[in-house]
Amino acid sequence: MDDGARLMERVRARDVDAFEQLYDGYHRLVFGIALRIANDAALAEDITQSIFLKLWTAPEAFREGNFAGWLSRVARNRALDAVRSRANQPKAEIPVDIPAEATTDATVFARIDAQRVRGALSLLSEEQRAPIEMGFFAGVTHEEIALRTGIPLGTIKTRIRTGLRRMREALTETVSR
Amino acid sequence: MNEPIDREQMLDLVAAYALGVLPVSESGLVAALILSDSDARREYDELRATANLVGLSAEEPVDSARSARMKERLLAAVRSDVPRRAPLSATRTSAMWGVTLAAAAAVVFALVSVIQNFSLRSDLHEAQTRLATQQARIDADRRTVERDRRMLTDLTASDAKRYTVTYGTVVTRGAHVYLALGSLPPLPPGRVYQAWTLARGAKTMAPSVTFTPSQNGLTLVPIPDNAGSLAAVGLSVEPQGGSRQPTTKPAFLQTLS
Repeated sequence: MDDGARLMERVRARDVDAFEQLYDGYHRLVFGIALRIANDAALAEDITQSIFLKLWTAPEAFREGNFAGWLSRVARNRALDAVRSRANQPKAEIPVDIPAEATTDATVFARIDAQRVRGALSLLSEEQRAPIEMGFFAGVTHEEIALRTGIPLGTIKTRIRTGLRRMREALTETVSR
Repeated sequence: MNEPIDREQMLDLVAAYALGVLPVSESGLVAALILSDSDARREYDELRATANLVGLSAEEPVDSARSARMKERLLAAVRSDVPRRAPLSATRTSAMWGVTLAAAAAVVFALVSVIQNFSLRSDLHEAQTRLATQQARIDADRRTVERDRRMLTDLTASDAKRYTVTYGTVVTRGAHVYLALGSLPPLPPGRVYQAWTLARGAKTMAPSVTFTPSQNGLTLVPIPDNAGSLAAVGLSVEPQGGSRQPTTKPAFLQTLS
């Protein structure tokens, strides 16, 4: 279990000190994602606050696994919703997720930090990294990525897969050192 | 023209789903694949965990004033949420404020009512029309999202029944029946795929919905009949507009238990 997961257990027990530690440890991550997606510091602040309040009011939403990864996905989806709401667009493009099963990743990836992720992303070719970052931070579909880049849809899908695989290998190598 | 997709392409779709870039319309089939295929499940679990970490690259320092401001507000909200007995005087003060605010609101409402004129009503009417149009659009979007979510819930539910057929899976859950098809052959010009249903106790197939596969060959087809009333479902290629009886050899015919 990683630090975030341990703190969330205490938050479930209504421990305000644990919530404060959670904020201290993870607000830079949530704000950074929100800012990258919204490109608006005031909106990013609102998104960050709403996410942390949700962690307090509905801590059961986090069940198990890598907390930073889970929070990163939550921040991404919440920020995309906020941006779409501001633009008066429907939120229909993000499908319901299948919960990923807890794997050894929870333990192995607990040691992953921003610097290691940036390092792993930098090992990808530009053609692999661009669709992954566009998909995550712009919240567009694979078809929109293909349209925006002028690259065939099938190629985009393959690059996403090979890029994620390469990134995974790089992260696994960096934590096993 | 659509091309059948192979296993590697299916796993590419799993990666796209893990990253969160598949639209809802394509997610049902991929979700069903993930739940029914151990290789797809493993691929999803590994790539999903990796994709989630992409966000960590955006972590950045927050200026101390902003950080402190957010923290202060959050902790104030959190501390006020922790159950505790409010002092009596504070309760009374709140009640007094409540009465004062209610009185002020009544005065404001009365004033606004008095100064309304024709121009304001006209603006109001225009705004209401715009609002109604927007609301209708939002309602339509909401219905689409609810329908897609219901389908996805059905397809991924552990109590759903799944029947493997030639080009994918027939899924039933409760009263609902879906054809989740992933590798349909291209259609000749002027032809469509048509689903067929056999009601329990019936001797002939009845025509159901017609469709053409989506651009990438993935198709999710909800069958409008109640699953409990059906003994079998089938699929064939028919002329545009559909047929009253199958005119070609069925691509599959699947009995439902």
